[in-house]
Amino acid sequence: MKFELHKGSRSRILAVAILLIAAIFVGRLFYLQVVQHDYYVALAAEEQQSRFVIPASRGMIYAKSGNEPVQLVMNQTVYTVFADPKTVTEDREIITSLKEIAGGNTRPEFEKLLEKKETRYQILATKLSRIQADKLKEKGFSGIGFQETSQRVYPEGALAAHVLGFVNTEGVGNYGIEGALNDELNGKDGVLQAVTDVRNVPLTVGNNNVRIPKQDGKNIVLSIDRSIQSKVEQALVSAAERTAASNVSAVVLNPKNGEVMALANVPKYSPGEYFKAEDVAVFNNNVISGPYEPGSTIKAFTMATAIDKNVAKASDTFVNTDLIRVEDRTISNATKGITGTISFQTAMQWSLNTGFVTLAQRLGNGSEITPAARETMYDYFYNKFRLGQRTGIELANEASGTLIAPNQPTGNAVRYSNMSFGQGMETTMLQVAASYGALINGGNYYTPTLIDGYVEDGEYKENPQPEPAAKGVIKPSTSNEIRQMLITARAAGFPGADRAGYSVGGKTGTSQVVKNGQYSTSETIASYVGFGGANEAEYVIMVQVSGKDREFQGARDAMPIFTDISNWMIEYLKLQPKG
Amino acid sequence: MSYQPNTYYASRRQQNWSRNQNTTRFVSSVKLGPVAHTILVALMITVLGLIYLTQATRATGYDYESQRIDSQIAELSEEKTDLQIENARLTALETIKNSAVAREMTAPANTEFVE
Repeated sequence: MKFELHKGSRSRILAVAILLIAAIFVGRLFYLQVVQHDYYVALAAEEQQSRFVIPASRGMIYAKSGNEPVQLVMNQTVYTVFADPKTVTEDREIITSLKEIAGGNTRPEFEKLLEKKETRYQILATKLSRIQADKLKEKGFSGIGFQETSQRVYPEGALAAHVLGFVNTEGVGNYGIEGALNDELNGKDGVLQAVTDVRNVPLTVGNNNVRIPKQDGKNIVLSIDRSIQSKVEQALVSAAERTAASNVSAVVLNPKNGEVMALANVPKYSPGEYFKAEDVAVFNNNVISGPYEPGSTIKAFTMATAIDKNVAKASDTFVNTDLIRVEDRTISNATKGITGTISFQTAMQWSLNTGFVTLAQRLGNGSEITPAARETMYDYFYNKFRLGQRTGIELANEASGTLIAPNQPTGNAVRYSNMSFGQGMETTMLQVAASYGALINGGNYYTPTLIDGYVEDGEYKENPQPEPAAKGVIKPSTSNEIRQMLITARAAGFPGADRAGYSVGGKTGTSQVVKNGQYSTSETIASYVGFGGANEAEYVIMVQVSGKDREFQGARDAMPIFTDISNWMIEYLKLQPKG
Repeated sequence: MSYQPNTYYASRRQQNWSRNQNTTRFVSSVKLGPVAHTILVALMITVLGLIYLTQATRATGYDYESQRIDSQIAELSEEKTDLQIENARLTALETIKNSAVAREMTAPANTEFVE
């Protein structure tokens, strides 16, 4: 029988129908496989591939113990225990085990959380150690899960809290080094994108796997010496008890390279328990964030300017009447009675304001603080000694302070007469201490720094010795003369305070506090800045004592703290006496 | 009128065979039909597929091994960190200060330097 598709036959209609259906299939397949190719490939990749973040470890922070780095801040993996109350069946056993193993890490009344059977997620305990978590995991409770998190731990406790700052629950550094160098410490997370099996284990099959390795944060070695830091903190705590001051601060730095050896404030806090602080003001680092009128500690800068400009020497004299007139104002001395013809060395020793206003006048025409005198003072104070500008230390929230330029409306002679003895200007303690380094080290200004080096692959790599940020801010002869003046002033003012055979100098400061635009008569801040060593200065220490509505004096309240630290430093640094 | 070839050429092999009558040719007594051929081809494809699967599974097996080793490394590194923290705590200044040995120590009354 001959099979033919006759026109209009049923077979022919069927064939045409089949062809049409086939064409629809082909068309649909073309649409799905060719036109929609990228979409379905992406959909498949999403289904088959997973993206994992490889968390970078936050860099550790080290202090120094002699020349060896010691850990101040480390990372530890801790575990959060959570439950899915709906699927939990062994409530009683879980409660018993958590009490036994997690102890104080359990949340208050966690038993009740397990009873909330309508919920799917309840945190039962936090910050469990690995050993605790392992013990709980061994129990194999259903409906109980563990979440790993990394937290900062502080083996030295609250030591150097204001230098370190802290890391908040979101892993962001706040205050101190943690805040200033957050990006450097944080590192960069890595990424793994791969085909995974049902248990989410990444497999090497597949062509589109991506692996970007993590970059751990840098391990920073601070210039802080933990023994000096500990001594300074101890001295401040004792001083706070002795003086009943609400704030006591100190900074110790090396005048030969600007490295900060210790920096502390009282009251302090524990960075591991920063959330327990009742007042956020406790996080502020007064040494860098609290600009104030530094008072008579600035007299050394006025003297140095005058010596450097050849308008005065330590032995030069002036007539002191305890009063001096500048335009329509009369400036008087706090210490009265050292009148007559006296030397500037005597003025330094007794901290006589009139002597330093006289120096400011001598920088002008001898009787007035002329615009030229003000320009000179501003050039030395601001440009050379860098008072009133941020030092650039590696700490968060550094304040700049204020130094009024002579071309500003308020930069008049009265302002500059006040500035000659440390009023009418605002600086931080660190600015003053760093500039004192330049005053007594031969005239080189070093930018204060906290970074001494890095630990890479377990090996300590020390930074090269810092170079001065500015050389010759004053002449070496000026530096030598001002250094000797400060040693003489201290020896005369506080005989027997220092160990024999060492050169220790310094200057007190008692500054009035401005309240509502007026100098308060009931509140003063005490300061002392000094240096010590044998043949050359090995350290600069600045101390500040303050409290609301309290009157503190530099000689009475701040100087003894300096003396305590200074005498200890001589022993700690094993300095041999002169000669 | 179309061309009709009337000459047929035999290959040299055929010519040889026809010339050398002693030449023998193996002829299997087992005859495979088209179904058997299809099954054999299918079997071969299956075997090749299995070989591929074996290799792929072996690679995946290495992934699991690698994953296990990674976990072990992570666990050991965590243990190492815990020990380092413990060590740092034990050698911390405060711990040393509060140690029995440190409590027995006294400050020197006088320090002398030898050149």
